[in-house]
Amino acid sequence: MLDHKLLIVSGKGGVGKSAVAASLALQAGRRGASALAISLADPIGLATHLGVGSLGYDAKPVAPGVAVAAVDRARALDEYLRLQLRVPRAAPLGQFSRIFQVLIDTAPGVREIVSMGKPIFEVWKEDWDIVIVDAPPLGQLQSYLGAPATIAELVPSGAVKEQAARMRDTLADQSTSGLVLVTTPEELPTIETSEMLELLADEPIIDVVGVVTNRVITPMTLEAGVFDALPSGSIRAAAHLHQMLAADQQRWLEVLPAGPQLAHQFGVLTAPELAATLTDAWDEL
Amino acid sequence: MSRRKPRTATVIVTGAGGVGKTTIAAAVGIASARAGKRTLVLTVDPARRLADALGIETIGNVPTPVSGQTELWAAMLDVTASWEGIISRHAEPDVAARLEQNPYFRAIADRFPAAQSYAAGEQLAEYLEAGAWEVVVVDTPPAGGGIDFFEAPRRMRELIGGRVLRWITGAGLPGRRALYRITARPMLRLTDNVLGGPLLEEVAEFLLDLRTLYDGLARRAQGIERYFTAATTVVVTTAYPTPLREARRFYEALPDIAAPPACVIFNRALPAAWADHAPDLASQDLDAATQIALHVNLERWGAEARHQAEVRLEFANRHKTVPLQIPWMEHAPTSINALAALIDEADARVLEVLEL
Repeated sequence: MLDHKLLIVSGKGGVGKSAVAASLALQAGRRGASALAISLADPIGLATHLGVGSLGYDAKPVAPGVAVAAVDRARALDEYLRLQLRVPRAAPLGQFSRIFQVLIDTAPGVREIVSMGKPIFEVWKEDWDIVIVDAPPLGQLQSYLGAPATIAELVPSGAVKEQAARMRDTLADQSTSGLVLVTTPEELPTIETSEMLELLADEPIIDVVGVVTNRVITPMTLEAGVFDALPSGSIRAAAHLHQMLAADQQRWLEVLPAGPQLAHQFGVLTAPELAATLTDAWDEL
Repeated sequence: MSRRKPRTATVIVTGAGGVGKTTIAAAVGIASARAGKRTLVLTVDPARRLADALGIETIGNVPTPVSGQTELWAAMLDVTASWEGIISRHAEPDVAARLEQNPYFRAIADRFPAAQSYAAGEQLAEYLEAGAWEVVVVDTPPAGGGIDFFEAPRRMRELIGGRVLRWITGAGLPGRRALYRITARPMLRLTDNVLGGPLLEEVAEFLLDLRTLYDGLARRAQGIERYFTAATTVVVTTAYPTPLREARRFYEALPDIAAPPACVIFNRALPAAWADHAPDLASQDLDAATQIALHVNLERWGAEARHQAEVRLEFANRHKTVPLQIPWMEHAPTSINALAALIDEADARVLEVLEL
């Protein structure tokens, strides 16, 4: 996974994708690479896992070689217009931005392409060995990943079309870009992940380089009779819940494609501790 | 300030993605129906087995009776159909026909996350006005961590009545060429160069059509906002940091845009007693490996229970609210009876707080 220049991390809401994105950036740094983590969706999630209070548009260092930033729509738009579309400095960007703002609110794909632009421009600039994106949840992922292709088709000619086509090609280039899908071994995340895999198989916008299963509970191998010998009450109830949850997870693990599994950490770790624990787990995977 | 309660009680179930709010919305609806009230549950994107249990195999805004349940109906939000309804109610027939064919309208209705949030509010208003139910339970779309649902009507009014849109489409009643007013012309030429021709004009035409709906839509949006204010809102969360943060945000933001949440429900709650259990296994006749496996895992569950109890207490103190609990189930409940059991096993106060 980490030998790509652009890694997009997504998953159903609530599966822990910000923690996984943070841990991948920290692991890349541990391997000596320079890594930029960018939040497209929920900047606070990524910020807390990397132990910083807030994120800005400019990269903030968090560990040796590792920095983090968030997409600020207004700044991203400015960068998109000035640097990527080469709108002349003399042009009154204020009014232009206002027109664009209306487009962002209405025309399909414009909001998404402005957000997607930031990490892709960072890849083009080659300032970092790897750019890791904490992307929006699965429900919105398709409109983000598909935005460059949508715009390239929708716009008849001009700078936007060329730029969108180049972004689309960067995403589709398997040696450059990859998608990491994070899931948990539960019904809804498993089904949504499978649906996304099918969709991407039909419409290869980006190569899926890994399905990471988070919060895996390993069953305890107990000899027959041990369970019944446990004292009744909270201890037996806890052991029972553990075994039942592990068994339920097993059936979803069978449906999910093979990939890295991260152990359930229970709720006792703080966000930075969780990211550090997952980072350690990548040492062995 | 006293507010007139509508005849139908509304329960809005909200919270971050993945905390189980669709399941809890269904469970609350079933409990309400079993308490003898004519109840409708509006779900958004339920798990397949949950949809099967409610007898809603496909999306559709027309409520269907849930088989075997005398007082229960269910519907699954169809965003595109909601938007077609909105357009046909508020637009002149020729404008409606043009809008429905417009690629931007279709794209917005199908994919724009805010469109899903607005459509859910619109459906709620329709069900309330139909007057056929005593209780309507709404599961909220996940956009913006759920808060978009409450903000969508105001955003809709702002988008259609907004200054920029007035500026781009011309101030007076729009002739189709008003777009090319003198002041805007050089900017539009630049925009056209960059965007490659008629894209902006096409968008502007769409917006011009949409603006003719302004009066009707704005009135409707205000009506929806009033329904939100009169509704009972339930915030669902787990003890994980991300959903907790969303739950706090609801407590901070909702008093300004709807009504303060009636309660917070902690899903996947462990019994408080586990927090104190010391896995004393030494007295048991167990081999060493089994002892270690049990010890390690039971310690963890105890620690998790302790953590959950702390989180609930902190939340209750900070927001002056009663944290209710729904136990961590071995299997996600997917039958009507399992869903009903969810509320039965939960804090008995759930129905009391919701006045059901």
